[in-house]
Parts: sequence; structure tokens; C-alpha cells
Amino acid sequence: MKFKKIFNDQRVVLTLLTIALFIFFGLRNSAFFNVDFVIYPLLRDGATLTVIGLAQLCVLSIGHLNLAVGRMAAVSALVAGASYQYWGLTLVQGAILGVLAGALLGAITGWIIVKSQVNAFIVTLAMDFALLGLVTFIYVTFTGATAAFTTKPAGMDYWRSKSLADFCLGPICGPKALPMMLVPAIFCLILVSFMYSKTRLGRELLSTGSNLRAAKLSGIPVENRVMTAHIFSGTLAGIGGLMLAYTNGSFTAAIGSQVMLPSFLGPVLGGTLLAGGAVAVLGTFIGTMMTLVIRQGLSVQGIGLETLNIALGLVLLLALSVGQIQKMFTSIKLRGKK
Amino acid sequence: MKLPVFFKNRMTEFSLSVIFVIGFLALVLTSNGVFLSRASLQGFLTYLAVPIAIGLAQMVVLCIGQMNLAVGTMGGVSCAIMAVLMADHNLPIWLAIFIGLFSATAMGAINGALVVLTQLNGFIITLGTYTILLGFQYRLVKTFTIDKYPSSLPEFGKRNILGFPYILVIAIITAILLSLFFSRTIIGRRVLATGGNPLAARLSGVSNNRSIFIAHTLSGLLIGVASVITIASLPGINRSIGGDWLLASFAAPIIGGVLMSGGTIAIYGTVIAAGVVRLVDIARAQYSLDPSIVSLSVGVVTLSTVALSEWRRRRTERQNEGMKELI
Repeated sequence: MKFKKIFNDQRVVLTLLTIALFIFFGLRNSAFFNVDFVIYPLLRDGATLTVIGLAQLCVLSIGHLNLAVGRMAAVSALVAGASYQYWGLTLVQGAILGVLAGALLGAITGWIIVKSQVNAFIVTLAMDFALLGLVTFIYVTFTGATAAFTTKPAGMDYWRSKSLADFCLGPICGPKALPMMLVPAIFCLILVSFMYSKTRLGRELLSTGSNLRAAKLSGIPVENRVMTAHIFSGTLAGIGGLMLAYTNGSFTAAIGSQVMLPSFLGPVLGGTLLAGGAVAVLGTFIGTMMTLVIRQGLSVQGIGLETLNIALGLVLLLALSVGQIQKMFTSIKLRGKK
Repeated sequence: MKLPVFFKNRMTEFSLSVIFVIGFLALVLTSNGVFLSRASLQGFLTYLAVPIAIGLAQMVVLCIGQMNLAVGTMGGVSCAIMAVLMADHNLPIWLAIFIGLFSATAMGAINGALVVLTQLNGFIITLGTYTILLGFQYRLVKTFTIDKYPSSLPEFGKRNILGFPYILVIAIITAILLSLFFSRTIIGRRVLATGGNPLAARLSGVSNNRSIFIAHTLSGLLIGVASVITIASLPGINRSIGGDWLLASFAAPIIGGVLMSGGTIAIYGTVIAAGVVRLVDIARAQYSLDPSIVSLSVGVVTLSTVALSEWRRRRTERQNEGMKELI
């Protein structure tokens, strides 16, 4: 009985599936087990996409969407890059400024949604296009043909290429496969998880998402909570943008242009409801890792970009239908019992 | 000030028409009349046909309160299918066009069927099909530009009647047929009823599932029309086709007065809004501004239109409530 219960947990199933996929791809092609070229970059990208997935999760928790996650990440990278290039700030100062820019954008988005009562989808879609124009325009105006800020502050390469093997407690060092980028990702995972499971704010966000009217009637300041969710989303997108930029090595307008679909895949595969009211924080990490294993595994097999897209789209549709299929089976079972 | 009912109901369309005329005149004046020359007017009208068709395709889905994120890749794939069939398999043009229209309609029908079967939001379903179709599009055209099809098709795209390109006429006729569909047929009224209030529609005997399926399928057919227009107006087909359709498809109906919540259509509004967006595009070329300015301004305009319509809706609601108290 207990055994069955464990397998009912979506996270356990996802983890097992991810490990199985990983081993499957490794057996097909042993190059997949290479630490330096496959596992390390896989975990590094996984860390970044997890943070961006969490940015999406925050708005999904109130039943909204954020189509501008990628562009918010781009703005945060832009601000940080400009501060390194023109104002000579240190790594940390610039990073703080960039994350603040993300938070500010989130606040503006939330404010527009609350004040205009317009669907979050359309606000963030328009925001996405407005920011796309703005970011490209700023890069082109300030840096001309290169369209990138290339100044690297001290310490950037540390985050980019070092692993926990360089981080020692006395004689014991971490494994080489775990990148430094995992540190901020785990930090975000713990914070977000703590917020949703232990704090009043988290519960208020979830009840806003599951039933807006009921939440309002029970005295929750729903408009403030909508703002809060979007500010969190902007902040996390900002952190994700910095991680993308540090991995990339330079600050360009292309940062964040590829993350819209992955930002949904992680949380939704992990078990976050699109309608709001339920989140899966750890599931976001596992879901992200699974999509990355599929993507990386297929590309190690020498399968092109086009098939990757088809595979990822099918995974998304399948994962989404699982709930519906389960419901169908349950209803058939119930009917049989009657 | 009291406006006649006719104008009150068509405020958005009326103001958009005024904006369109003013913008048009401004462009004529600032270009010293060059804009009125045959070539540049031709260019303006030719590339207006696609935004109209994709705006209508999005409008049909918006009117049941859903959206179609896959407009761009559905168009890209059906363009690619037509081009490949004509160039590599030497199919006659009419057959290729028929297959292109059919495949786009089938993609729309698949979207609709998936939405009905899974009972999930159309947004997430079309996000999934968007990704899958993008894969198919890349697979079909690879990195080439396909242009080895009979030249009579691009020539047809250049032909015109009294200065109006044939392909624009096709788009306009499509719009008229669509408006007849919504105003004159029972199916059309039922689709609108579903969008307006699903519960009320259900209680009056309308099948919401059927309406959803029809709306998505119709959206596919309209995208098919857009792809036929695209293939006739461009010299060749490559993998970038459809990449910039998404915002344009939302901008035209939303600026034209269609509500995101469903239940409304505005066909004339969509057509004229597509014209206004096209004017912005021309103005950018005219004053040699950076292309990013266009996405910036269209994004901002769409956002403010939505906010304005929402504000207007709430004002009407408040007025209605006041009336209820009087009764």
C-alpha cells in the first residue's frame, strides 16, 4: 500500500523517468556520460532554466501567465551589462541592479494588470513585444554593430566555468560535475518552496489562484497579491537572465529569447496547475531536467533541431493530457463499481 | 453629448477609420506625394492582405474566448507544403493550393479536437502544436529558399484590378464571407453564443464543444488563405515565414475592438486596424527608423487599446447597474 503511495507522487515518477532516460541515452552513446562536455553543461543549463521556470511558477500560482519572462531576463542582463561597461560596477553591484530592474518590470506588469483588469496573457504579450523593441534598440544605439556589452567584471568566469570541485571544506571538495550555477538555483528553490509551504503570503497567493472571489471574500488583498506574484516573477526572471548572461559570456539582445517554452515545460511537467492554486517547486527542477535530458540526449544521437522541437511539443501535450486521461480512467472505474 | 446609436456602437471602427485616413494623408504629404505613386501604393496594398487574413484567423478563436499561438507556424508549414509540392513534385498549382488550404484546416481541426478532448486552455494546446509544427516547418524547408515553382503564381500576386491587387481582393472577399458566416448562419451565431456565455449557450442547447472545434478549424482555414496569399506575394519560401505573425495577428483584432473574453467580433475593425498597423510599418521605412521601433509602438498601442476597451466595458456595466436600480 505504502509502495503504491510513493508511485502516486508525480515527482517520484518524474525522477525515475528522468534517470531512466539518462541511462538509456548513455547506453546508446557512451559520450553522454562525459562529465565535462555533457553532464556539467546539462546541470548548468538546468540550473538557469529552473530559476526561469520558478519565475513562471510564481505567476502560474495565481492563475496568470507571463509571456515576457524571457524579455524580462534580457532587460536584467542589459542593465547589469551596461553597469559593468559604463559605470564600472563590481559583479555583485551590477547583479543587484539587474535583478532590481527585473523586479521593477514585474511590478509595472502587475500594476497594469491590476489597474486595467486586462487578461495577464495579453498584457505580458504586449510587454514582450515592447521590451523586445526597447532592448534591441538600446543595444544597437549604444554599441553599434557589435550589439553587445562585452566587459567582463572580475569573478564572472568563476560562476561560468567553475564547479563545486573548487569549493572545499577542509580536505573534502565537491564533485566536479556540479556547476557553481547550481548554488543560486538551489537558493531560489529553497526560498520559493519555503514561501509557498510555510508562510502566510504563499498561502494567500495560492488561494488567490484557486478561487479569486473566495479569496477576496475571506479578506485577502487579492490585488496586492497579484502585484506580489508578478514582482516575484520579474525578480526570478532577472536572476535567470543574469545566469544566462554569465553562461553566455557577453550581454546581448538574444539572451532569453529561447526560454518561453521551457519556462512552461518545467513547472507544468512538475505538476503545477495552469489554472492556478497548486505549485510544484521541486517538480519544476525535475521537470526542467527531464526536458533537458531529452533535448541533450537526442542531440548527442545526432538528431537535428527540427526533431527536437517535435519531441518537446509532444512531451508537453502528453504531460498535459495525463491528468485528463487519469480522470477518464477513474470515472470508468467508478462506473464499474456502481 | 448624445451620439446616435449607430455611431455609439461603432465608435472603435469609426475612430480607427479617421486615424487611417489622417495617417494616410500625413504619409502622402510628408513624402511629397511619392506615396501616391503606383509602385508604392501597390506595395502598401499587396502586403496588407496577409495581416488582414491572419488577424481574422486570430479573431475567430478570440471570439470563443481562446487564442491560437500557432498561427505563425501553421502558416509556415502550409506555405512549405505548397512550395515543396510544386517545386519538388511538380504538382499543378490548383492542386497544391487545395492541399495547402486543406492541411492548414486540418491543423486547425487538430487544435480544436485537442482542446475539446483534453478540456485544457487553448493557449497551452496551441503552444504545444506551435513547437511541433515549428519542427515540421524546419524539416520541410531546411535552410533553403524554395522558389522553383511555376512563375505564374508570383505573377498572379502582382496583377491588379483598378489598382487593387487580386490578393487584397481575395482577403476582402474572405472578410465579407466571414461576416456573412457570423451574421447569417446558425452555426456562426452558435459559435458567438458560446463565446459570450458558455453556460447560457449550453442551457439553450448549443454544443460548446462543437463551437470550439468549429472556431479552431475555421481559424485553420483562414490561415490557409493567408498562406496562399503569402506564397503568391513573395518571391520564395524559407523557414522564416510566419515568424512575425503572432503579434500582428493579435494586434489587428484587438485594436479593432474584439474583446479577449470572447463573444464579440469586429470584422471591419480588424481589417481597418490591419491597415493602420501597415501604415506604421510604411512610416518606419519612410523615415528610416529602426525596425525595433515598430514592435515597440505596436506593443504599446495594443496594450493601451485593451486597457481602454476594458475601461469602457466597466463604465457600461456601471451604467447598466444604475439602470437596474431605477427599474
